[in-house]
Amino acid sequence: MKNMDLCRHTDTVNELLARYGVKFGIYKNNEFHEQLFPFDAVPRVIDKEEFAYLEKGLKQRVMALNCFIRDIYGEKQIVRDHVVPEEFIFASSGYLAQCEGVLPPKGIYAHIAGIDLVQGKNDEWYILEDNLRVPSGASYPMIARDLCRKSSPSTFKEYHIEDNRNYAQLLRNTMDYVNTGGHTVILTPGRYNAAYFEHSYLAEKTGAHLVTGNQLIVENDYLYFIDYSGKKERVGAVYRRISDEYLDPMNFKEESLIGIPHIYDIFRKGNVALLNAPGNGVADDKGIYYFVPKMIRYYLDEEPILQNAPTYLPFYEQDMAYVLEHFDHLVLKDVAEAGGYGVVFGDKMTKEEKENFIGLLKKEPRRFIAQEIIDFKDIDILDQGQWVPRKADLRAFVLMGEEPVVWKSGLTRFSRNPDSFIVNSSQGGGFKDTWVLSQ
Amino acid sequence: MGIISVENTDRLYWLGRYSERVYTTIRLFSDSFDEMIDSYLDSYEVFCKRLDIPNIYTSSANFIERYCFDSEDPNSIYSNLTRAYDNCITLREEIGSECVSYIQLAMYDMNRARVSEAPLIELQKVVDNILAFWGIVDDSIDSENVRNIIKVGKRIERLDLYARLHLDAEKMEREVDRLVGRIPRTCLKYRKEALSRLKELVEASEIDYYSIVKEVESILEE
Amino acid sequence: MKELHFEYSMKLEFETPVEKHRFTLKCVPRSDKRQKILDLNIDVYPKEFLSTDEDSFGNQCIYGYSEGFHDHFSVSLSGRALCGLSSCEDDAKEARIGLFRYQSEYTKPGPEITAFTNSIQVEDTASDLDRAIHYMKALYGRFSYVPRVTTINTTAEEAFAGGCGVCQDYSHILLSMCRMRQIPCRYVVGMLMGEGESHAWVEICQNGVWIPLDPTNNLIVEDQHIKISSGRDYKDCLVNQGIFMGQTLQRQKVYVLVREERM
Repeated sequence: MKNMDLCRHTDTVNELLARYGVKFGIYKNNEFHEQLFPFDAVPRVIDKEEFAYLEKGLKQRVMALNCFIRDIYGEKQIVRDHVVPEEFIFASSGYLAQCEGVLPPKGIYAHIAGIDLVQGKNDEWYILEDNLRVPSGASYPMIARDLCRKSSPSTFKEYHIEDNRNYAQLLRNTMDYVNTGGHTVILTPGRYNAAYFEHSYLAEKTGAHLVTGNQLIVENDYLYFIDYSGKKERVGAVYRRISDEYLDPMNFKEESLIGIPHIYDIFRKGNVALLNAPGNGVADDKGIYYFVPKMIRYYLDEEPILQNAPTYLPFYEQDMAYVLEHFDHLVLKDVAEAGGYGVVFGDKMTKEEKENFIGLLKKEPRRFIAQEIIDFKDIDILDQGQWVPRKADLRAFVLMGEEPVVWKSGLTRFSRNPDSFIVNSSQGGGFKDTWVLSQ
Repeated sequence: MGIISVENTDRLYWLGRYSERVYTTIRLFSDSFDEMIDSYLDSYEVFCKRLDIPNIYTSSANFIERYCFDSEDPNSIYSNLTRAYDNCITLREEIGSECVSYIQLAMYDMNRARVSEAPLIELQKVVDNILAFWGIVDDSIDSENVRNIIKVGKRIERLDLYARLHLDAEKMEREVDRLVGRIPRTCLKYRKEALSRLKELVEASEIDYYSIVKEVESILEE
Repeated sequence: MKELHFEYSMKLEFETPVEKHRFTLKCVPRSDKRQKILDLNIDVYPKEFLSTDEDSFGNQCIYGYSEGFHDHFSVSLSGRALCGLSSCEDDAKEARIGLFRYQSEYTKPGPEITAFTNSIQVEDTASDLDRAIHYMKALYGRFSYVPRVTTINTTAEEAFAGGCGVCQDYSHILLSMCRMRQIPCRYVVGMLMGEGESHAWVEICQNGVWIPLDPTNNLIVEDQHIKISSGRDYKDCLVNQGIFMGQTLQRQKVYVLVREERM
């Protein structure tokens, strides 16, 4: 690997990424900035067999999560059967009462799932979290692959790698499968959203129209796109990249200016598909994460193929006792936070911080989960010509159509800081391509 | 003709206009810059007058700095390129990443010119990228409508600039003819009478440049 | 059992006309085990596009859109209701009961409600309904009915700390207290016999049925209340929700008349 031609072209690929405007937006002191997402040319390589195993596990997990969401907004058998305690549902910020009794087209809730994994030093893969609302990131490895192939054709002749540029087609299939008749659009909050590049790139590559809320209108129980000529064109599928709360001011947050009034009412009637379905937050809640292996057994009657990181729920008395006893060896996560925020390490706290935290933990046990710190298997990156090991995770994408499909690639994010375990792009990391070998 | 929103139609049109404005003003500026190096020091006054922009500058050096690169000056080349860029990056799915990339490159070159000792060299790269942008617009955009809206924007802007600069009748006539041929090939709603009036104006023995500028701004319906 | 005739009207006046108006109305009573709605008549203005739906709480919604300028928006309905057919509402949907056991935006208790609730002695063996009735009585003794000191945005804790309020506040506080004890309960909007505005009360779920209590009047609802909608709190039961284009002052008038029909 170290002799791979591609590695000599890191700068070239980064220049090309800049040329194509591959950026993400961040707000600093309330000002919008566009930032390049640093690319490291050393790929994460997953061999064919190993990927087949991941694929099986990921499909199983997403199938179970989908069953769970359908159950939660329906009969709630998993609650009735005491597998998941009721308060983990109703007190979760991701649970939306407005979604009770609503069945999306074809019964699919999680059309595009971004599942974050890490590999331990023991080579075992662990699921870190499930992202079933608006997971982003697929566009980066997609365009990076394109540019890597240009920069180092010989590398791609030498290795047999699954082409990941089919993501657009997979996404298109997913959107078409649930489309209720009419155009397909990608709904963006606008140019100043962190993932705007991705929204526009996926629109280009899938052939969907990129729209903002004000370009869509609900009339007579259907959704329309208003053409320049004033003609109304029916829309049958909306891949929305805005969060549930802002989707429809008449059904969710009233003050939303980026949503489409009444879109949820016609979704309820089955007249438009929303990808992903509103309300999915109930399943990717960090508190619910603990229950996913149980869900797999409950709904599918199968043993989970992929493991969770060992997790404790202070909500349960025996777990609380364990957490207090092993506090310094655990990472604690606030279930309401995302993007690497609300994560604290027991051994990194001062005495006072620890006392305060434990006080809070005892007061609101439902708010936190505790996990064993996984000994990550580091991945090499090129840092000023040197190979240095860094922490990295993998976001795998599972697309649900008639059958679940796992994209043969993924977004590998790494931390540039040698001491950091947090690889989120909003906290200054970089990314790598993920190769799945085809033979 | 595929479906297209009011917003994107508008953005395509302004992308055409601002890319043209940057292109033509850089070329004009290059001529003036040469003069300012060692001769007539206040030539920027004439420059402002010709382009009908407020002369807010205090010296040649200040003019070069601000007219080219000041993001706070709404008339600067920098501001105009930023507007082209802002329109462009919201049009990726209409015009494609390849087209977008040339405006992006122009923006990078502009930022390099800003810190350069010899800004004309970097500004030439901006011009090169805009020319490449127009080339790829022509070459790679399948939708005739999308392609032509950009071109209409470009033509209208050029006509506007040429009228302000009082270019000769022959050049004016050619620009009007190009516009008249282009605009019906788009979905744009325009005033036919404005086009015939423009034709009359450029064919008149004495050209009324002021009326041309006014007429140009009223071609498109609100 | 009573046969009631009801009229409900809501008029929103705009000082300067507005356009592109989207609205959702939850003002239509429906028949259930306790009440039967007859001869329902509904009129909405303007009504360029109208549609109906049922929300996740089972409430009847009329939603629509009016593109053009208009200087007022109104809805009026009338009909007859046979009330008190049963002491409880429809059977609760089992899967959705839990939803009403947890505090919602308006009902989160603060120190005042917490202390008050903890100070009320109720036997451990009391049923949820008995406990709720106990709380209702205690609240009635502690809280006074005074209009216009609270607003539609006042939370249970704020209202309780202030010591007085209207039916919305009584209901939110009682919900807050019951939910502290994990008793499933919901907010109800409806009409009460007499003339005036709309009314609010609560329903307690016990043994799979919803039993209405009116904390403002300290009574168990029998046959003088016509229910319109219910939800976790006020927010789920907005009678009129709308957004439109236009900067304007608006004035809302609601008129409710419920009288007994001579049999």
